[in-house]
Amino acid sequence: MNMKKATQLALGIVTGVGGFFDIGNLATSAQAGASFRLQLLWALALGTILVIFLIEMSGRFAAVSGKALPDAIREHFGFGFWLVPFLVLTLVHVLVLASEIGGICFALHLLTGLRPAVWALPVAILVWLFLWRSIFSTIENSTSLLGLLALGFVVAAVQHHPPSGELLAGMLPSLPHHDPAKYWLIAVSILGSVMAPYLFYFYSSGAVEDKWDSSYVGVNRGIAFLGMGFGSLIAFAAIVVAALVLAPRGIEVDDYHQAAMMLTDAFPFWGFILFAAIMAIACLGAGIEVSLSMAYTTAQTFGWNWGEDLNPREDARFCLVYTGAIFLSSLLILFGIDPLKLTLFTMAISAFVLPFVAIPFLLLMNDRKLLKEHANGWISNTVAAFLLVLSIVLAVVTIPLVFLGGS
Amino acid sequence: MKSAKVHLELLVGREVHDSEGKRVGRLLSVTAEREGDDCVVREFLLGPAALLKRLGITTLHIVGFQRKKPLAVPWDQLDLSDPERPRLTCRADELKRKTT
Amino acid sequence: MKRLDLFRDVLDKQVTDREKTKMGRVDGLVLELREGQPPRVVSIEMGFVVLARRLHPRLADWFLRLRRRVHVRKQACYSVPWSRVLDVSPFCVQLDVEAAETPAFDWECWLRDHVIAHLPGVAK
Repeated sequence: MNMKKATQLALGIVTGVGGFFDIGNLATSAQAGASFRLQLLWALALGTILVIFLIEMSGRFAAVSGKALPDAIREHFGFGFWLVPFLVLTLVHVLVLASEIGGICFALHLLTGLRPAVWALPVAILVWLFLWRSIFSTIENSTSLLGLLALGFVVAAVQHHPPSGELLAGMLPSLPHHDPAKYWLIAVSILGSVMAPYLFYFYSSGAVEDKWDSSYVGVNRGIAFLGMGFGSLIAFAAIVVAALVLAPRGIEVDDYHQAAMMLTDAFPFWGFILFAAIMAIACLGAGIEVSLSMAYTTAQTFGWNWGEDLNPREDARFCLVYTGAIFLSSLLILFGIDPLKLTLFTMAISAFVLPFVAIPFLLLMNDRKLLKEHANGWISNTVAAFLLVLSIVLAVVTIPLVFLGGS
Repeated sequence: MKSAKVHLELLVGREVHDSEGKRVGRLLSVTAEREGDDCVVREFLLGPAALLKRLGITTLHIVGFQRKKPLAVPWDQLDLSDPERPRLTCRADELKRKTT
Repeated sequence: MKRLDLFRDVLDKQVTDREKTKMGRVDGLVLELREGQPPRVVSIEMGFVVLARRLHPRLADWFLRLRRRVHVRKQACYSVPWSRVLDVSPFCVQLDVEAAETPAFDWECWLRDHVIAHLPGVAK
């Protein structure tokens, strides 16, 4: 592997780690740890394994075919077939973006005392400015490097000395001792937050922006396994910290204020500020990605000119999609929707829509005319088949659980 | 010379019947050849699984599920004068099956 | 490509201009049926109304009515004669036109001149 690829691999792993954690992981991890201690670690482990494969396939697809997912799906399946996944993906994008903006607003509320709704428009402008003025690689690198701050959760988790017996037991699926509806709803939400559709759709467009070709298949595999793998450690750590700090005090996370206390045991003086900083940065990075993802998906669907590296004058429609998305999503926070409830609802919806957005993608991974020798082998196809079945199960159980689990 | 215009995108996956009204299959693809500035249709392919054939994927073959091979219809044996009801100009059994 | 599958290789394909600038997608294809001769492709069509018609003809009518109130393009559907097609590759259908001079870019140009130009910090 030459120097350039090695650098890309290193950068990719770092951005994967720093970029993994977002409001969905934070909210679901805090709830999981506070209500069920370490019992839900298996859901996170399962989601991580599956998302590693999804990201690897997405990157491999883009590198070998030279096309991003929305582009390829419309071309191969036709407009009629793509329309439903496209509309569903757009809805999820808006909800996730609103959740991320809500996260930044809440973090600022923690630091200043001003209500989150007050911060909605300033935050929207900040997110917008990042996209308007920056080129793709700058965005990728800056927010993800800062995102390494979230490793603070890992430090805190280690400091709390989690009991190894309980840790190992949590890695295997088990039945809850209380509140089964809530338990399974959180499990589904964890899966929805880790296997967020925007993640693997965005990743393919990013690979095209970075001009990857077939020679990047190895780099892609490294980024998927190591970047996502290590990144998920942060979410694991968040569950551990919530389990050892919040659960013993009987604190259930019904509000972000309760989650905000998670780091104050490990870091007595600045744990509160660290939590707010992690929340703000993680959500900023993710918010930028989701906005871009929505713009990529829309522009590619209709064949418009697209690219973060282009001057806005060259891809007006692409730029106006992310602009519109950011301001529309911020309205949800401006009108005072509870950010935590919105996030948990959105994570459940992400799980619900997985079959619609994953099935076309998984079918395409077997197209030998497009991918030649890089089409899915039996390992990837086995995981894909499992993912397909799981996604359909999730789609069936999610809505009833939302009502039963009391979101 | 009489000529009529047809919107090809509205024909994707349309059911085709033969001259006796028997259902033959769905319109899977239209093979054409570029001749200079022109693009001329040579044949139509019909079959049961329109979408999957269009994808060119082999997923079903992986699972070992072999479907009927598509039917090749030369250009002069498909009547598109009523685009909502494409018909063969002959009986289904008078056509040969194409190997894919 | 000399031999084409019109559904797989042309329909829904990315359309680019001479300079490979993306302009839209092949939303529709018009075939001319000729007596005693094989049908030939007459034009490529691009536009929301063409897409709407693929879903349901009534949707296309609704879209046309909406257009009467709000339109930037001079015509609802941009039709390109097949003779303008330079190349059909696995990546795109390349046309012998310049994007900015075609109706495909009407919205793009309008938004660029009336919205983007008024936003701060456009030149990077």
